[in-house]
Amino acid sequence: MEDISIEDKVKIASGFLLASPPGEVNDVFNDVRTLVDDDKALESGILTTLEEYNTEQLITVIPPGLDYEVIVSKHGKVDLDRYLDPRSKKSFQFDHIRLVATELKDHTEDLPIEDFRAAVETEAHKYVNDHYPNGVCSVYGLDENNIAIAIVDNKYNPNNYWNGRWLATWVYNRETGALKGATKVHVHYYEDGNVQLNSDKKSDSTVTFKEDVTVTAKAIVKEITTFDKRYHTAVNNSYEELAENAFKGLRRALPLTRNKLDWNKIMNYKIGNELSQK
Amino acid sequence: MSDPYDCALDLMRRLPPQNVEENLAKLLDLVSPELADDLLSAIDQPLKVKRCSKTGRDFLVCDYNRDGDSYRSPWSNEYEPELLDGTVPSRTLRKLEVAANEAFDTYREMYYEGGVSSVYTFDIDDKFAVVVLIKKVGDGLKRMKGAWDSIHVFEVQERGRNAHYKLTSTIMLYMLTSSQELGTMNLSGSMTRQSEQDYPVDDPAAHIVNIGRMVEEMELKMRNSLQEVYFGKTKDIVNDLRSLGSLEETRRQAKIQQELVGRLMERNAR
Repeated sequence: MEDISIEDKVKIASGFLLASPPGEVNDVFNDVRTLVDDDKALESGILTTLEEYNTEQLITVIPPGLDYEVIVSKHGKVDLDRYLDPRSKKSFQFDHIRLVATELKDHTEDLPIEDFRAAVETEAHKYVNDHYPNGVCSVYGLDENNIAIAIVDNKYNPNNYWNGRWLATWVYNRETGALKGATKVHVHYYEDGNVQLNSDKKSDSTVTFKEDVTVTAKAIVKEITTFDKRYHTAVNNSYEELAENAFKGLRRALPLTRNKLDWNKIMNYKIGNELSQK
Repeated sequence: MSDPYDCALDLMRRLPPQNVEENLAKLLDLVSPELADDLLSAIDQPLKVKRCSKTGRDFLVCDYNRDGDSYRSPWSNEYEPELLDGTVPSRTLRKLEVAANEAFDTYREMYYEGGVSSVYTFDIDDKFAVVVLIKKVGDGLKRMKGAWDSIHVFEVQERGRNAHYKLTSTIMLYMLTSSQELGTMNLSGSMTRQSEQDYPVDDPAAHIVNIGRMVEEMELKMRNSLQEVYFGKTKDIVNDLRSLGSLEETRRQAKIQQELVGRLMERNAR
């Protein structure tokens, strides 16, 4: 085996980090740290990877000074390692390695879309509170026409060897009325093994923008609600279908005879003789 | 945890099982050649099917019938590509291997109604090993793809008229489906279990009867566990992440119930 360069090793480590199951990025980091065995090269090469992972996975944090969880998303990035909580109109410094927030301070940059954004935030929070037990939601104003809605629900239970994440990002353009969404569900169950569910679905629809921002906000959230319900039902149905068809078709629980094999008989009739012939 | 071997195994237990081959190949680039060898035999990969050019029958290839870049066919006992000094089991073990391949061919047909099976034996000091492999790929009907790989590794030690069997079983199960309503869904992974038993061996065929029963027992248990974890546990977790019904409604009902209980307690206290 040829020796590969430290840069390539860090690249492999980055790929592993991006594939981390929910809530296990620290465990994966510790593993690759030992395997790469070069902290300096790893730390300088891996920071952008961790930022990519954290913002794509909509990692949440409670910044000191706030009493609720806030999403760390690329849509909220206001400066190098500084992220916005649009709800409190404050920004915070985020450490992508230690996953802690510091230095909460006012962020006063009101986009003309703010009234609309705030209306969507109100409706989105109502919805998330009604269907996501640990749901966290942030609504960002991106420019004069676009808003982004980020929703994430994490449940970590490493003591019982499982973790899960449901995440969705929606972007709405009030000029065109286009609403684009991407939803991902990732579950890891790892008692005596490694079983993972990965499911994702994209959505493309239109919601006409009305001057009354509350009316439009309700219409957008209604569209998201309808999508989620349909997708969630489809996932549950697919579980039944895979169990009934794919799984049963691979291996029967018992042979067609409904009896276990008579191994003595198999041996006596077919093979026993050959074995006894020395 | 700072031992590279433990870290490598921990890592493979966390990375998506859908990409185990790709992940393992990359992992081997990170470690020393000695560690790479250990990891190759410790981490199970999906079984591959090869056709035996002598007999035309399919057989399964894995680390257990590999020598260099060649794989031994259980049907012809020859390596492909040809390898003149490739490791082969002793004469007695080869006899057992031939018989076991026949017996598990019947087992496979009864339970899997298709697929490919292979049994390999090899000597290790005063013991010997028997590896039973079964692979079945689903028919892919109704937009559902699936694959089942069983890897049963026995370490057998004969003790007079008895034998001690130590079994490590891994089953890899892959399932993939997609539709307009669903998008895509990939439910995959592996599970490992161990078992140890002592059985009498009063004639040469007894090893196969004992091993056969242990495989049958283990697969029955593991099939149940797989069913429970794949379609029960992970589904429950999905429904813990998002509630199909209204949580507000659930909270409201809980509150009403609490109030009712409170009033009843009050009345009883009077």
